[in-house]
Amino acid sequence: MQLRKVKFEVLRFRPEQDEKPVFESYDVECMEDWVVLDALNAIKDDIDPTLSHRWSCRMGVCGSCGMLVNGRPVLTCAAFVRNYSGTIRVEPLSNFPIVRDLVVELDGFVEKIKSVKPWIIRKLEKDVAEGEYRQSPEQLEEFKQFSMCINCALCYAACPVLANEPEFVGPAAIALGHRYNLDSRDEGNAERFAVLDSHDGVYACSYANECSQVCPKHVDPAMAIQQAKLTDFLQWSHLLPKRSFT
Amino acid sequence: MSAHAAVPQKTRTAPARAPAGFPFSFYRYRNYVAFAATSVFMAIGCVGLLEGLHALGKGPEAWNAWLAEMARPGALALSLVVLAFTLYFVFRFGWVGRKIGAGRVGPVPRPPLPLPVLGVAPLGGFVTLWLILLAILGGVLL
Repeated sequence: MQLRKVKFEVLRFRPEQDEKPVFESYDVECMEDWVVLDALNAIKDDIDPTLSHRWSCRMGVCGSCGMLVNGRPVLTCAAFVRNYSGTIRVEPLSNFPIVRDLVVELDGFVEKIKSVKPWIIRKLEKDVAEGEYRQSPEQLEEFKQFSMCINCALCYAACPVLANEPEFVGPAAIALGHRYNLDSRDEGNAERFAVLDSHDGVYACSYANECSQVCPKHVDPAMAIQQAKLTDFLQWSHLLPKRSFT
Repeated sequence: MSAHAAVPQKTRTAPARAPAGFPFSFYRYRNYVAFAATSVFMAIGCVGLLEGLHALGKGPEAWNAWLAEMARPGALALSLVVLAFTLYFVFRFGWVGRKIGAGRVGPVPRPPLPLPVLGVAPLGGFVTLWLILLAILGGVLL
């Protein structure tokens, strides 16, 4: 297979020696079918074993390998080297503190996801003997696209609001909260209302729409947030009940 | 080793970096900044209108003085800028409404009114109120 030499500029940050992040260049012999993640692994395996980056499934499912490639948040396992010309610049996700090299701190992100209680909440659990909670295809369609989120955090890296207001709950968490609010089996809407309606909730979004543009799973978090705004307003004004939707 | 010494220290991190192209080098981020800036210019416009209302309450002399003040080239230019940002805000608000209208608010029970009505009615009401107010201020009404 034909090899092509590609220059990579990778942002490095080694907390024990670097005062601030700095770029380092690597020339990598890339195969035609390589993705950026393959090149990073080649750097780590053959050129510089000190390079740190996250990855796992290599097929766009786990959401671990999100980074900025030439300034755009992408899953590096799905970003083919052949689609880029010239030097390829790889950086850690923006809007997150950098732990080391391309690894970012996701603690705040996970806390925000947890804050919207992304699970089905029932006031009274049915007995197992009574069978499962039934749902029609139409009811599934209400929220299905929002459940495609893999928590890769690319939407957070693209969000200009988070660049200004780091406490903003953010696209993925709001989309996930909205997804459970739309679920016909759920009764936890009132519990999520406090988070979505807060100062850092849905109204902090001014709809730059970049979150939806970068989502690798074609979720539309911007749409979820705008819908959540309307839901929130209707509930606040008592036009919609804040309790169970079932 | 004491128990206190065994507590691992948090790794030093580098500060979060802003998205590439933020705030002016990428059009979506520019739109975001412009949208945020609308609040400043609309606030200026509201202050001007409140001054007008105040002058109206004080009597014909104050009202005519305010009208003369507003007719000066500088005030006219500022009014045009305020109008441009207000229109930008309105169009962008409508652009958001596109997303709301495309989906649903939630499953049963449905909201009491159709979504386009719920989305557009507050904005329409707001614009109508301002038009009525402007018509009053301009002497068309009353």
